[in-house]
This record gives sequence, structure tokens and C-alpha cells, in this order.
Amino acid sequence: MDKSILVKALIVFSLPASIIFSIFLGRYPVSAYDIFGSILHTIAPSLIHSPPDPVQRIVLLYRLPRVLAAALVGISLSVSGASLQSMLRNPLVSPHILGITSGAAFGAALAIALLPGYVPIELVAMASALLAFIIVLAIAWGWGHGSIVSLVLAGVIVNALFSAALSLVKFLTPDPHRLASITFWLMGDIGQAAQWGDVTRMFMVITPCIAVLVLARWRINILSLGDEEAHALGVNPVVERIFFASLCALATASAVAYAGVIGWAGLLVPHIIRLTTGCDNRSVILYTVFLGGAYMVLADDLARCLTTEVIPIGIITTLMGAPLLIYLLRRAGRVWR
Amino acid sequence: MGKVLVRLEGVSYSYDGVKALEDISLTIHCGEVVSILGPNGAGKTTLLKCLLKILKPHGAIYIDGREINTYRVKELARIIGYVPQIHHSVFAYRVLDFVLMGRAPYHSMFSLPSESEYDKAMEILEELGIRNLADRTVAEVSGGQLQLVLIARALIQEAKILLLDEPTAHLDVSNELRVLSIVYRLVHSRVVDTAIMAMHNPLTASMFSDRIVLMKNNRVVAEGSPREVLTRENLYKAYGVDFEIIVKDGRVIAIPCRTNTIYPIE
Repeated sequence: MDKSILVKALIVFSLPASIIFSIFLGRYPVSAYDIFGSILHTIAPSLIHSPPDPVQRIVLLYRLPRVLAAALVGISLSVSGASLQSMLRNPLVSPHILGITSGAAFGAALAIALLPGYVPIELVAMASALLAFIIVLAIAWGWGHGSIVSLVLAGVIVNALFSAALSLVKFLTPDPHRLASITFWLMGDIGQAAQWGDVTRMFMVITPCIAVLVLARWRINILSLGDEEAHALGVNPVVERIFFASLCALATASAVAYAGVIGWAGLLVPHIIRLTTGCDNRSVILYTVFLGGAYMVLADDLARCLTTEVIPIGIITTLMGAPLLIYLLRRAGRVWR
Repeated sequence: MGKVLVRLEGVSYSYDGVKALEDISLTIHCGEVVSILGPNGAGKTTLLKCLLKILKPHGAIYIDGREINTYRVKELARIIGYVPQIHHSVFAYRVLDFVLMGRAPYHSMFSLPSESEYDKAMEILEELGIRNLADRTVAEVSGGQLQLVLIARALIQEAKILLLDEPTAHLDVSNELRVLSIVYRLVHSRVVDTAIMAMHNPLTASMFSDRIVLMKNNRVVAEGSPREVLTRENLYKAYGVDFEIIVKDGRVIAIPCRTNTIYPIE
């Protein structure tokens, strides 16, 4: 019992710890005094002398928003992943299943290829992601009355459609520079979302969605029992699944539109939590918030500090995730055998 | 005879034009274990789904005096507890947490179960003799134990009516007897008011039912006490198989006869 409380405390602690640690990290060395001085000076300028200008700029305009953006993206993808795995009764599902990622990728490519500089990429990506999800819902509702299979299959169909459309846009883009930007966008980069304005806009969409999912985490357990049993327990499975899936879609769309396609976090983090705390979503969804945020913050640290170039974070999350999951499954294989 | 708990009047249902229930009228009283008996495809499960309001049939169904369509799903779940034939668990919940999910009809979307509900779950596990399973996961318990766990989940719903869909179809003889005698005891010690079970085996149905509703081809063929219903003619009509009927200590035992005729499978 004591051990499990310790593990849970460590998971909760991992998020603030990784955020603070990451602000120190980078090529320009800063001290603890610089960081807290900069933040405190911004909040209450009369209390403290401002630290030197470059330090303040690095901390406040570069590292802090970037670290917070990474945490938000991580939380959004991981909690959506955990919720969708439960309500679609499939541990292999990731938040990309609902067509959102392909939708966002297509929108971003379109914006880069045809409208560079005219409209913000993230706006087109977000609109296109939500359009993809609406098509998924329409297909799933019209054909299968919102059943699990219809939702997943509709996701697969829409993913395929938007991927083809994305390839078409790439094929028709003559300019190699724009083609390169599309490819880079597709690999994911938190740096694209590292302005305070982006962070604020992501925060305003992601936080309410995730808050509702966290509050309703026991209810999501009930949906994971299957439609008939959920119905017999007084829950309307179709209505509630579509409601929760829409929240996941909104949160994921917002993360993907700003930061690009980042795989694996939504699949991996919920599994790590399940293997440490058990399958009940009362703990899974709650602790996924902390570990999901921490995981992405650390992955972004590697992305920006490992080499002199910024490595796309999608590559890091996968390279980190795959061996970690293999190790965990080996250790606790009996849960999924 | 006790109070009327469930009443069906001319209930019919078809799946996209294929008839599954035709003109079923039934009355089920407080204090009796009722078996809906019949071969595969007779319409037993469809009937249970209509009672759960998963399917919306033609005709009228009254639950505890009120028309079923006047109940919200949540209200109905406080009256009817459902035990599926088998539970496919994707996630290996702890047995105690799994049983606790039976409290869902008493919770809003955002509330969590309380300490007293945990205590109640433990009490029910104790009552069913499976307290030792509380900390295992549902993936680790045997088929018979899982059936009892599902019954525990229905009991914590505080349901008056238990609906069981072939609860022992996947169990060996000893587990089958254990599960069915527990269901029988629950009704006769008035933990629940009635249990309605879909069954396909006349032998076990005769051992644990106060009343049997025999179905065939989406209709009720016969209805009454096991002695009235389990006759050679009725069973032949329903199953197309000869049965030998033995009455022992006032109980009817129906044994299928071995035959060399090959029946067409319906």
C-alpha cells in the first residue's frame, strides 16, 4: 500500500519537477535566481530588481512558454488517448484514431502550400481537423448509430481520405522549400506553439476538455464495459461516448494544430499508468494528466538540447516510447496476455 | 401469488423486418424465479433486451406498474439488474471496483463512489461467498466466479428484478448448480423480488424455476409451473427432440433421449 502511494506521489511530482528542470535547460546558462527573479519581476515589479535583459527574455519569452506548451500538448494527447482507449474498448487506440490528425495535417499542408503568410497555419489545421471529426461522426451516426465499430471504422476511412488528400497537396506543390516545410510540420515541433499567444489559445481549449474528462473518469469506466452493460447500468452509451469523444477530438485537434503530428504519447502514457496503478480510470485518467505532461516536456528537452539543431519531437517521442513500452510489457506481461 | 412486477401485452419485435418476437403476453409476480426456456434463436435474448429497454418493441411492457417508456434509462437501472451471459473484459478491473460500477445509476456524470458504497460492495461479496476475490482482477477469476461477480454487480444496483441471460451457458455442472442455487436463494430470501432467466437446458430450468415460459420460433409455446410445461409434447414442439419425463420428489426432470434421427438444425 505504501509503495503504491509513493509511486503515485512520484507521478504527480514529475510534472512540476520536469517543468522547473526544463527551464534551466538550454545553451544559455541561467541560475535559479534568474528564473524566479524574472517571473517574480513580471508579476510584481516593485518587489524585485529585474534580472539582466537577455536572461529575462530567454526565460520569459522562450523557455517558459515552450515548456508549458509541451506540457499542454502532452496532457491533451495522453488524456485523450486514455479516455478513448476505455470508451472504445480497445487498448491499441490512440487519439489519432478519430481522423483528427490527418485532418490537421491536410489543413496545415494546404495552408503552407497555397496560402503561405495569408492565414495562420494552425487556424486552417484546426478547422480541417474538426471538419474531419465531423465527417467521422456523420458516417458513424448515419451508418452504425454511433456504435464503437462504426466510430472506429469511420475514423479509419476519414484518416485514409485525408492522408490521400495530403499526398495530393504535396504532389502538387512545386516549390521544394514549401514541400520541406510541410514535411517538417508533419514531424511535429513544440517550437511552433511556443509563443505566449499560442500557449494561451491552446490552454483555453485544452483545459476545459481535459477537466471534464478528468471529472467524468469513473463514468468512462462504465462505458468501457460495453454498450449493453452500460445501458443496463443506466448510462446512454452512444450519447455519452460521442460527448466524451468530441472533447478528446477538440483537445487533440488543438494540440496537433499547433505542434504538428506527435505520435505515441497518447498510446504509451496511459499504458504506463495502467501497469503501475491498475486499470480503473479513477487513477488512470487522473495520473495520466501528470505523466503525460512530464513525458512531453522531457521529450521536448531532448528535441531541443540533444544536438545543435532542433530534432522534430515526433521522432523523439517514438524513439523514447517504443523501447519503454517493450520493457514495461515484458515486466508486466500478464496484464495483457 | 405476489404483486405483479412485470407485464407484457402483445409484445412484438423485428430486426430490420426479420421477426424476433411475436405477440408475447406475460405476467411475472413478486417472489418467483421465472425461466424463459427455449432453443437457440427462439427469441429469449430479444425478450430480455426489450425488458431492459435496449430494444423498443411494439406492444406494451409494464415494469412495477409503470409503462416502460415512462422510465428514464437511469431509473430503470435502479429496478432491473442485468447479468450478461459472459463479460468480455478488455481492461482488467479489480473485482471490488468492478462490482462498485453497479452503483452507476445512483451517480451523476461527475460523482465518484463513496466509502459506504465500498463497504456495501464488500458485504455483497461476503454474502455471495466471494469476498476473497475482492482484490483480484476480473481477468484472473474463473468463469463461475465471474458470473457471481456479475450477480454481485446487479445486487449493488439494489434492483428488484434480476435479468439473467443464460447465466450458466459457459459453466461446468458444479458451477452451474452453484450459480443457479444462489439465484434461487436470492429470490426466496427476498434479497430480490424476482429473477428472470433465459435458459436453454430444460433440465436445469426444471430444477431452479418456479415458473417456466417455453418459447419457440419467437412465440410462447407454453407457460406455467415446471410440471405443467415440461411435458413430452411441449418439449417436442419446442426442441424437436424426444424427452423422457421423470417426476421425483415433486420435481420434474426432463432428460433428452438419444436418437439416431438427424434433425435439421434451425
